[in-house]
Amino acid sequence: MKVKLEKKHAIDAPPAAAWSVLRDLNVLAECMPGASITGQTGDNEYTGKVSVKVGPVQSVFGGTIQVTGIDESNYTMKLDAKGKDQSGTSNASMQLTASVQAGEGGGCELVGNSEIKVMGKMANFGGRMIDGVADQLISQFLANFSDRVLAAGEGEAAAEAAQRVAEQPKELNALALLWGMIIGFLRRLFGSKESS
Amino acid sequence: MATPAEQVQDPVGGVGCSRKRKEDARFIQGKGNYTDDLKLPGQVFGAFVRSPIAHGRVVSINKEPALAHPGVFAVLTAEDLKPLNLHWMPTLAGDTQMVLADGKVCFQQQEVAFVIAEDRYVAADAVELVEVEYEELPVITDARQAMSADAPVIREDLEGKTEGAHGERVHHNHIFRWDVGDAAATDKVFASAPLTVSEDISYQRVHPCPLETCGCVSDFDKIKGELTVYLTSQAPHVVRTVVSMLSGIPESKVHVIAPDIGGGFGNKVGVYPGYVCAIVGSIVLGRPVKWIETRVENLAATAFARDYHMRGELAADEEGRVQALRVHVLADHGAFDACADPSKFPAGLFSIVTGSYDIPTAFARVDGVYSNKAPGGVAYRCSFRVTEASYLIERMMDVLAQKLGIDPAEIRSRNFIRAEQFPYTSCLGWEYDSGDYHTAMQQALEAVDYEGLRKEQAEKRAKGDLMGIGVAFFTEIVGAGPTKNCDILGIGMVDSCEIRVHPTGSAIARLGTKSQGQGHETTYAQIIATELGIPSDDIQIEEGDTATAPYGLGTYGSRSTPVGGAAAARAARKVKDKARKIAAAMMEVSPADLEWDVDRFVVKSLPDQSRTIKEIALAAYQHLPEGLEQGLEAVEYYDPPNFTYPFGAYICVVDIDRFTGEVKIRRFYALDDCGTRINPMIIEGQVHGGLTESLGIALGQELAFDEDGNILSASFMDYFMPTAVETPHWETDFTVTPSPHHPIGAKGVGESPNVGGVSAISNAVIDAFAHQGVTHMQMPHTAYAVWKQINALGLNK
Repeated sequence: MKVKLEKKHAIDAPPAAAWSVLRDLNVLAECMPGASITGQTGDNEYTGKVSVKVGPVQSVFGGTIQVTGIDESNYTMKLDAKGKDQSGTSNASMQLTASVQAGEGGGCELVGNSEIKVMGKMANFGGRMIDGVADQLISQFLANFSDRVLAAGEGEAAAEAAQRVAEQPKELNALALLWGMIIGFLRRLFGSKESS
Repeated sequence: MATPAEQVQDPVGGVGCSRKRKEDARFIQGKGNYTDDLKLPGQVFGAFVRSPIAHGRVVSINKEPALAHPGVFAVLTAEDLKPLNLHWMPTLAGDTQMVLADGKVCFQQQEVAFVIAEDRYVAADAVELVEVEYEELPVITDARQAMSADAPVIREDLEGKTEGAHGERVHHNHIFRWDVGDAAATDKVFASAPLTVSEDISYQRVHPCPLETCGCVSDFDKIKGELTVYLTSQAPHVVRTVVSMLSGIPESKVHVIAPDIGGGFGNKVGVYPGYVCAIVGSIVLGRPVKWIETRVENLAATAFARDYHMRGELAADEEGRVQALRVHVLADHGAFDACADPSKFPAGLFSIVTGSYDIPTAFARVDGVYSNKAPGGVAYRCSFRVTEASYLIERMMDVLAQKLGIDPAEIRSRNFIRAEQFPYTSCLGWEYDSGDYHTAMQQALEAVDYEGLRKEQAEKRAKGDLMGIGVAFFTEIVGAGPTKNCDILGIGMVDSCEIRVHPTGSAIARLGTKSQGQGHETTYAQIIATELGIPSDDIQIEEGDTATAPYGLGTYGSRSTPVGGAAAARAARKVKDKARKIAAAMMEVSPADLEWDVDRFVVKSLPDQSRTIKEIALAAYQHLPEGLEQGLEAVEYYDPPNFTYPFGAYICVVDIDRFTGEVKIRRFYALDDCGTRINPMIIEGQVHGGLTESLGIALGQELAFDEDGNILSASFMDYFMPTAVETPHWETDFTVTPSPHHPIGAKGVGESPNVGGVSAISNAVIDAFAHQGVTHMQMPHTAYAVWKQINALGLNK
């Protein structure tokens, strides 16, 4: 079961500031709800874990993350993540290409393309929800990422962002996730009516 | 509905009585005794570690963390079974199947390791502790891609083998090719026919899905060297033979018991890895080992049904008279060919595909292929692929009708085998025993006011409403089967009955079949009651214990009444023959001077001189004149001379919401002709159940997979199971055309409604779009699928 996601997110900060967060995998992982880096096994190889709940299936995935490309001049990073959940009943992998591009008014834009593949129990039971969950996960990730970048700056906006980073839930908030999915569903529903 | 004739008072409660089922007293009070109810002293529990991926190599298995878990006794892997040569096992279809993953996994949820622990909770915890490393391989889930040149090799054990169990293999994922009929003659008719039609018709992968999942308790007695296995089996004797062959334990020391079964529908015919692992576990540990499937395991790993991808072609004249039929089927059997057909029939009885029609020429080819999906291809409430065959011909008749602008009921009538043609030999070689199709169809059309319905449909169509009328007529071929062409693992498909009449006049009968809810304890007793004059309440029926019941091939393919019921009637007649001799001795007359009257032998011309069966039974255990042996019992092994051919006419009316695509069955009329009707109430119950299943299949069920081989319908969240909420009122009706070769003329009915129901509902849904030029829509006709059709045609604007 594959989910392909393409997301863009504008951040009111210079590209270099965003890139410094993007290229630090430890900080980057903290932006992902429920994820953390647990060790480094090579120059570009890490171990990590992430806990996710999709429908009735709650899983803690452990696995490896390999940074397959860092392009400093174009602010682009590629990584492959692979993992399986602790009970051995689900596997997941993700290929991600993320880049920081110059945005309007000195700001920047984070552009992410990812392909997530899920096998086993998570696909068996969460199949109908997985698109929505992945979408919400990435949206939360982008919001958290944006806050990290802004918090490194100065002024009131930075202080507010720092506050949000401090309050960021350490695990994926299931209720907020569900709400996000419902809003997303309603948007699609009414969106499609307008277009037809 | 029972007719007045059927409600006639019968002093012994025999054939024709709508009697309440004897077994229901225990079932409705929760007093049934199912496999999972067993609690043997010292019993432990086994559970499987299963593959999360659909195709891959097993790089390593680390069972140490699981073994270290408190309460875990053993963890079995293929390596442990290898020394016993039990890491693979034969299937009923002539293939072999991995018991536990031997180097690779070929479908998601495949059995990888078997954990045995003190209870099922500890076992479930320990399953998660077994660490398995996999290396993924490319996956095939679509049968149409299985034989492409670059398709991955699913069965490496068969690589390079160009001969399979059923002849030549033309590709590494090919299982068999089965041809029937005259290809050249068929091609010739098609080349010159005035008119031809063709359609691609798939019958999706579904699951029999019994309420009770599969399971067993294996108990090995080391002192006696005896193995007792309690299990959910529709064919306990066959399992005993297979277990003896696999284990090397003499069959006399293998004792298989099938207790009460909560539905089988073909799912409980085969031998599963769980049975083998539980048996090995009990031998190794010396303790009883229980294994019970979860619902997810049942849906995802044990035998599925159908998954037939068919191309049908008809050649006809301008009046709609069919001249030839050509069919090609791609049959997806999953990773191992574990279908349960008579050995010589890799595609079962699919050659009944000419259906109820007098088609002069036909050719059918079935190619079986492997895929990365669960193994099987069982006969789900069906006599070995009859359902797929019937669906194909019933869809094709509609396609032809539409092409010619002839009414679907009319085109069927023009092509029916006529009553005077029976016994009728079809061009594909079957001898239909009896039938009167025109009468049945006429009765059905009048019952529903068919003309009125078509008129209403025309008015609705004019307003833009979607109303469909589905007409389906089916002929089944059941009661496998004659030993001249039917065997399983070399054992002829006979069935058996042993009757013992006790001194006080009651009786016990044991049979080689096995009820899974069909009501055998009631119907067999009715057959014997009529034959012997013993009240059916006084006749005990026992099945499922291989130590006491005579050998039989079990219950599936609607074979219980055609084969087991025939054995019961004939065993009773043997008993009656002896009773006649005893009665003659008692009254000092010649046996030839006696005639039978309900429950007694009466001396011809002296009606006051008689002996009841009760009196004869007592005499049978007393002093008898020389030449007569004590006792009143008999055994019959019945080898049917032919199959039986039940038939029926079904009509379904649907209304479709043109904005949501939801299909509502407004009316469903089912006329069944199953020959002599033994218990009309049980027949109606069977028809209701089968129709409800057919509704599930036609409107919602599918074992779906994504391109990586993840099963997307492994629970009732995603696999549609119809309940009382979705089920409409079923109208039942009947005609009676007895089978000329069956001892009491009965034909079997259990599977007919599933066979005919799916065609009727699917034809009704598609008929709702016929005026828009739609000739076919693939099942299941879910609201979403139907809405897509509506939307594509712009009918919801």
